[in-house]
Amino acid sequence: MRLFKVVLVVILSLGVCSAFAADKEMKVGFVYVSPIGDAGYSYAHDVGRQAVEAMPGVTTSYVEAVPEGPDSERVMLNMARKGYDVIFATSFGYMDPMLKVAAQFPKTAFFHCSGFKMADNMGNYFGRMYQARYLSGVVAGSMTKSNILGYVAAFPIPEVIRGINAFALGAQSVNPDVVVRVVWTKTWYDPATEKEAAKSLLDVGADVIAQHQDSPGPQEAAEEKGVYSIGYNSDMSSFAPKAHLTAPVWHWGPYYTKMVDEVRKGTWKASSDWPGLAEGIVGLSPFGKMVPQNVKDKVKALEAEIASGKKQVFVGPIKDQKGEVKIADGVAAPDKDLLGMTWFVQGVVGTTK
Amino acid sequence: MSPEIIIPLLAAAVQSGTPILYATLGEIFTEKSGVLNLGVEGAMIIGALTGFLVSRYTGSPALGFLAAGVAGSLATALHGIVCLWFLGNQVVSGLALTILGAGLANYIGTPFVGLSAPGFSPFAVPFLSSIPFLGPVFFQHDILVYVSYCIPVVMVLFLTRTRFGLSLRAAGEYPAAATATGLNVIAYRWLGIVGGGFFMGLGGAYLSLAYTHLWTTNLTAGRGWIAVALVIFAFWRPGRAVFGAYLFGGIMALQLRMQASGTQISSSILLMLPYALTVFVLVLSSWRKGTSEEPAALGVNVEPTE
Amino acid sequence: MVGIRIVKRQAPLGFWGACLVLFSALLLSLLLSGVLLFLGGTPPIKGIITLFQGAFCSRWALEDSVLKAIPIFLCSLGVAVAFRLKIWNIGAEGQFALGAVGATWVALTFPDWPKFVLLPAMICMAMVAGGAWGFIPALLRQRLKTNEIIVTLMLNYIAILFLDYLVYGVWKDPTSFGFPMTPSFSDQAIVGKIGSSTINWGLAHCLVLGVLVWGFFKYTRIGFEVKAAGDSVRAAKYAGLPYDRLVILVMVMSGALAGWAGFLEASATVNRLQPSIMVGYGYTAIVVAWLARLNPLGIGVASILLAGLRVGVENLQLDLQVPAAFGGILEGLILLTVLAGGFFTYYRFERRKKR
Repeated sequence: MRLFKVVLVVILSLGVCSAFAADKEMKVGFVYVSPIGDAGYSYAHDVGRQAVEAMPGVTTSYVEAVPEGPDSERVMLNMARKGYDVIFATSFGYMDPMLKVAAQFPKTAFFHCSGFKMADNMGNYFGRMYQARYLSGVVAGSMTKSNILGYVAAFPIPEVIRGINAFALGAQSVNPDVVVRVVWTKTWYDPATEKEAAKSLLDVGADVIAQHQDSPGPQEAAEEKGVYSIGYNSDMSSFAPKAHLTAPVWHWGPYYTKMVDEVRKGTWKASSDWPGLAEGIVGLSPFGKMVPQNVKDKVKALEAEIASGKKQVFVGPIKDQKGEVKIADGVAAPDKDLLGMTWFVQGVVGTTK
Repeated sequence: MSPEIIIPLLAAAVQSGTPILYATLGEIFTEKSGVLNLGVEGAMIIGALTGFLVSRYTGSPALGFLAAGVAGSLATALHGIVCLWFLGNQVVSGLALTILGAGLANYIGTPFVGLSAPGFSPFAVPFLSSIPFLGPVFFQHDILVYVSYCIPVVMVLFLTRTRFGLSLRAAGEYPAAATATGLNVIAYRWLGIVGGGFFMGLGGAYLSLAYTHLWTTNLTAGRGWIAVALVIFAFWRPGRAVFGAYLFGGIMALQLRMQASGTQISSSILLMLPYALTVFVLVLSSWRKGTSEEPAALGVNVEPTE
Repeated sequence: MVGIRIVKRQAPLGFWGACLVLFSALLLSLLLSGVLLFLGGTPPIKGIITLFQGAFCSRWALEDSVLKAIPIFLCSLGVAVAFRLKIWNIGAEGQFALGAVGATWVALTFPDWPKFVLLPAMICMAMVAGGAWGFIPALLRQRLKTNEIIVTLMLNYIAILFLDYLVYGVWKDPTSFGFPMTPSFSDQAIVGKIGSSTINWGLAHCLVLGVLVWGFFKYTRIGFEVKAAGDSVRAAKYAGLPYDRLVILVMVMSGALAGWAGFLEASATVNRLQPSIMVGYGYTAIVVAWLARLNPLGIGVASILLAGLRVGVENLQLDLQVPAAFGGILEGLILLTVLAGGFFTYYRFERRKKR
């Protein structure tokens, strides 16, 4: 009898083990637009990938520096053919190629970052970085003395324009006279050019430098001139300890692990996700010592309001550079308009072309 | 334009022209010996990474700067092996060096992205920096800029006044005749390649140690190619290279400042300016029959004698 | 003293000898990159096998490599035409961009034309635009003796920025949510795929153009003149060849071929114009042209090899997490070793006799 029990236990445990083994290892693939060595956008996604890698029973891989267009289609096809269960593609230009690939592999789950097209097995997602940008704008608007904020930006695409507008609105909310001056570098990572762009803004009187660039070049310019700066992507305070006020940062980990988990459990349905401060996907890095307590408190309070949905960033009346009302009084701009934003709000100096 | 705008602009022209200037001078030195090296970009990025790493782990930016030069020389030595020993085509070999250098630097350098290293900071030269106008434009930079002022002078003196320099130019002008007189042409071409590579490495290190104090992949961002173009622009003369590098850096700084002061012109159009102007000035000086000092045997390999 | 000396061969190395040299060169570069893989913590032999599997060892892989080779081949063919006359056209990249712009202009302006009219019109416009971008440096060279290397290089940057200007501005698709891309081309403006494969009919264009260029040099008088003038400018001028006109001719041909490649990339692979079509094919083309010694057949082989290498590196990244930069290392090493190997075509080492 006793022997029987032992045998039973062994059989049962073997059964459990094999059942566990049958729950096969999940493969998750990521497609990045730049090398992860850019220390910026793709790097932030890769930190999220590492969180997925740490999940039990999941292996991940990635292909970096994939040009948008035919090359990305090939990379995603190869992933699907190799039996990847989940594929994340993290740049806008991957949208149409991913749609084509998704149609051929209905059992694979596809996620596209920053686009708008969907399929039964393809969802899209992005982070409401503009919420964190708004908060950083509040900080910058409180700290400026010259009322000129400099913004070094990469390419005039909606994601960047939206960020600049949110930053400007945040700054104007505490300081109505503030002006945001924008310089385009037409590159995501060229530290020397980015730094030079920041210097050109300092020369026209800016005393806080913000950036939508992947390198800390602009931070260094602010540090050397002895003015303030706002970083991006990750905490950049080590490059500008005396200048760095805060930085809007990405935390992709929670979203990626949640999605992979849903796919594994079979509960996932293709959807359009735009998580933000509430979900912890975006946030602010720790404040520098020079930020006064009242500003910190104000930003913390605003953060809680935005996270709870009580406050929204793009609520009218919002006028464009010419003074035309683009978002009517009391109306919150729908996500669709935010995704395709191509105009600057009043108080921004620069062109979106 | 008021001096408050024009002085920072010219100072920016000098600083953003400096990395290009180092590389351009290096390429002039190499080409004077008769070797065309299109691998400037590769040598620069290897120099940038080496300079950064050495400075980070020894704490001495000066050592890093020198190490970057040596690394540049080692990188271009590959070009020497292929072209001088194995008589490979100089154009392809240079392009291969560009591809290989970027690959190597990014392969090795990825773990070091996002770290910082000690670098050079600006310091004003006593007396000189207080000269009105010229002081703030030329003498309130970091020491590497001042070093770059000296190199063209030394290079011209070396090439025109010393036996070594004259022999190096002979190797680039009439290698066959030089060989006949007993000159070791291959040795001088090695000098040209390795010496030029040294300056290209320095140019890269200027980006990672002085212009910024950080390393990222693709840090050089195409500046090596601008250097190749500026050599031709400068008619192979070090003095004109200074003008070319500052002109290019200046237009780049100018277009950024136009944006900062609120122009409505598209940034794509503004960014064309440096390239368009380089061509325009070149055309002007070709038109005025500027005398080029292009080495006669540039890009032609020397066959081994039995 | 035992040493090694270099001896010139009586006759250049034969075909099999050349193959042996090429093979050894490839082996050496693989060996060196294997060492780097090992240092980076990747099993080297597995790595190299993964690379080749991803490039050539399945139908898909082969199709991908050929697909990527098409624009490289056409750019390289163009570059080779100019190089024959020893005109250093570094500008295939810009001519490619302008070709894409020209073709896109036709596709967006006359989307409803029937396919058999629209496609030829797009090709013509691409060739005109690319050719014009080759004509500028040729004209400057002829009139003012301006160096063509610098002008073509600078025109590359200008062309790419011009393309940017259009897709960020006037040609931006109103339904693209503000992203820099033109609207999708109409069906009539798209070069289709061959049968059930992923390869488009651009492959046929390549074959025809390759044969035409080969025939141009082999059978036409002008082609012969270009070759002769390329071998010796002085002799050509002495013989009364219209050297200046030849310069313009080859640069326009060169630009037109690169423009054609731009047309194919926009029409067949991307189906619209967007900044990311510029991935440096124009520079790869220079390498390919030289590796192939300007021979159209060789250009075909070399462009498939280089394209395959880039495709294979993706496999390496995916399976073994090797950084993308490794592709550059491998490509650079292969080029350098193959180049150095070329030495043995004309020379050999001989052991120096004891004195």
